[in-house]
Amino acid sequence: LEYFVVSVLNGTVHGLLLFMVSAGLTLIFGMMGVLNFAHAWFYMLGAYVGYTFTSRLGFWWGLLAAPIVTGFCGILVERYMLRRVHNYGHAHELLLTFGLAFIIEEVIKLFYGDFPVNYQMPAYMRFAAFTLFETNYPFYRLFMGGAALAMFAVLYLLLTRTRIGIIVRAATYRPTTVEALGHNLPVIFMGVFAGGSALAGLAGAIAGAFFPTGPEMAVNFGTLVFVVVVVGGLGSLEGALVASLMIGLFISFAAGLGWSLADLLGLIGLGAWAREAGGLFTLQLATIAASMPFLLMVLVLLIRPAGLMGDRR
Amino acid sequence: MITARRLLLLCFGLAVLALLPIGLTPNLVNAVIKMMIAALFALAFALAMGQAGMLSFGHAAYYGLGAFAALHVMRAVELKWFGFPTPLVPLAGAVCGFLFGILFGWFATQRTGVYFSMVTLALAELLFTLAPTWNSLFGGESGVSTMRGASWGFTFGSDIEVYYLTLAWAAFSTWCMWAFTRTPLGRLALALRDNEHRVRFLGFNTHVARTLIFAISCLFTGVAGALLAIANEATNYTIFSTQASANVVLQTFIGGSGTFFGPALGAALMTFFARVTSDLTRSWLLYQGFIFVLVMLFAPDGIGGLINAHARRLKPGGIKRLVVPYLLCLVVGLLLIAGVVFVVESIHVLLSDGHMAKQRAAGGANLPYMLLGREFDPVSAATWAIPATLLIAGGALLPLATRFTRRAWALATQAAAQGDHA
Repeated sequence: LEYFVVSVLNGTVHGLLLFMVSAGLTLIFGMMGVLNFAHAWFYMLGAYVGYTFTSRLGFWWGLLAAPIVTGFCGILVERYMLRRVHNYGHAHELLLTFGLAFIIEEVIKLFYGDFPVNYQMPAYMRFAAFTLFETNYPFYRLFMGGAALAMFAVLYLLLTRTRIGIIVRAATYRPTTVEALGHNLPVIFMGVFAGGSALAGLAGAIAGAFFPTGPEMAVNFGTLVFVVVVVGGLGSLEGALVASLMIGLFISFAAGLGWSLADLLGLIGLGAWAREAGGLFTLQLATIAASMPFLLMVLVLLIRPAGLMGDRR
Repeated sequence: MITARRLLLLCFGLAVLALLPIGLTPNLVNAVIKMMIAALFALAFALAMGQAGMLSFGHAAYYGLGAFAALHVMRAVELKWFGFPTPLVPLAGAVCGFLFGILFGWFATQRTGVYFSMVTLALAELLFTLAPTWNSLFGGESGVSTMRGASWGFTFGSDIEVYYLTLAWAAFSTWCMWAFTRTPLGRLALALRDNEHRVRFLGFNTHVARTLIFAISCLFTGVAGALLAIANEATNYTIFSTQASANVVLQTFIGGSGTFFGPALGAALMTFFARVTSDLTRSWLLYQGFIFVLVMLFAPDGIGGLINAHARRLKPGGIKRLVVPYLLCLVVGLLLIAGVVFVVESIHVLLSDGHMAKQRAAGGANLPYMLLGREFDPVSAATWAIPATLLIAGGALLPLATRFTRRAWALATQAAAQGDHA
């Protein structure tokens, strides 16, 4: 039971963190059709901005500055780069952000070096929220989960209950009509891109204080974020939430289980043969936990190509 | 349509490549081998991308599988399990690439566009995460290594022999791929890229066609991987990394995916660039990123596209009009590059651990730093005036150069258009 409860808790928090990063990506994709490859790199940028401000001014200033700085970078990227290549199609936009990811990573390495920086949460947040099976559960994990849930609530209300949200959602479906009604479409696009980037930056500042903040944090996250967005259905906020929770739980459960294909075959009496054959059959689930999300994504794409909650468009 | 001029150009290029190792140091011969392999990889990738419009983000999977297949064959020969001539080892890579291309391609090609890219990316990631834990097949984290066996009277001990082997395979594969674009299936690839629905209405099974084209691309990718395995005699799971898949995409688009030889050109150039600059500076990936973004922004058709535009649209004497503007552009470009490089390298030195430690030892005083064999003072205005002058001069001349070049280009091409009508 202990294993089960701890896995559920850790998986949920990890999933919520994934959601924080992928929320911006799915918004940008759903609206502009741009699959922003550099999104996880904005997340990393946010963590480094948070680190810089935390060491000078304080933790909360870092949380405030990170979304502002990354959002501003998002504006620059959209206004001066993406808009230029828009006419050449989505592949070019994807490739451009791909190059940007390179540049962001290298610039960060240039200023902060190749090794993780010492980005820590403030001391007063470093306490155990509750004790579970004689291990202390850190409060900060709950804080991250809470922040992600708050973000989901705010975004959801913003998109469904306000005038801005209505215009943004309308522009997703019928951009030309929205423009004809007198709304400035380029500015809406720019705003959505900046907003999405800012969300990634905020997530980076929050998560970076708990997990190591280093130049490899974006690569580790980069492809996982895509998995979330594709599995959840491109452009669907609720889908992204469900998908990230699923993947978070998947990983945290798989990481602790020693099952292998040989055990599975053992149920039908082929266990001995499979163990003898070795190779793929004796690989433990724990060692291939990292491959799980990709397996899930391939399965979802083949069975339900629009994603769990995406609509066919 | 192959013209006499193109054939001559091709023979000339081959002759240069064949004679090249005579005048090169072993290190450079090795560099050229890597360039040819990268070029072949990029061509194979472009077969799926440029011809059929399938942007695969996981081509490193087939590259790596080809390399591992070749290594296992070479190891089996070394252990005397069976005999297999070393020059034919790339065939193992080809078979392996083709089989996995059909298997993975069958899944991936059920989707188009971004979804296709994502499935290929996921499949490559799957291999990347599986390989380090699957010891018997991929040799764990350390990978598989072996030796090139002697066969057909060659020992394959020196790089020269590997060079000619690589050249032969690269040339042969390139010819095969070029010939493929002439076959009905190759023509169908173009149709699939432009309008898949219509191809389906015409009665073709588009899924099978796309799978086949993808698998053929993987076949030649496998050859490239096998050649890499022969050249390095070892590989490990990092060959499957997203980085490797990313590199071929970058190189192909810098070279220009719309032309046949563009990707090869881009791959060869970028491999050479990486080889040279990675020795000089640790920020070379940053420069590579800059190059890629600039190409995407200002020359979306890549280097090949630029060359094509010159070859097609220029009137016979038009090149003369462009010499002066291009020289001006070159000067402006060099000024800007020098300024950016100066700033980047200065920051790099100043923020490096070594310099920081020295500064702390000196009690926080600002120490001079070395760059290009000269000393600079990090806080004096004179130091930062250098890049500032370079950047301002370049920035001021940039609009002038653009306008000048644009006008010259218009003159050089307009005249050609009139000439066509006359």
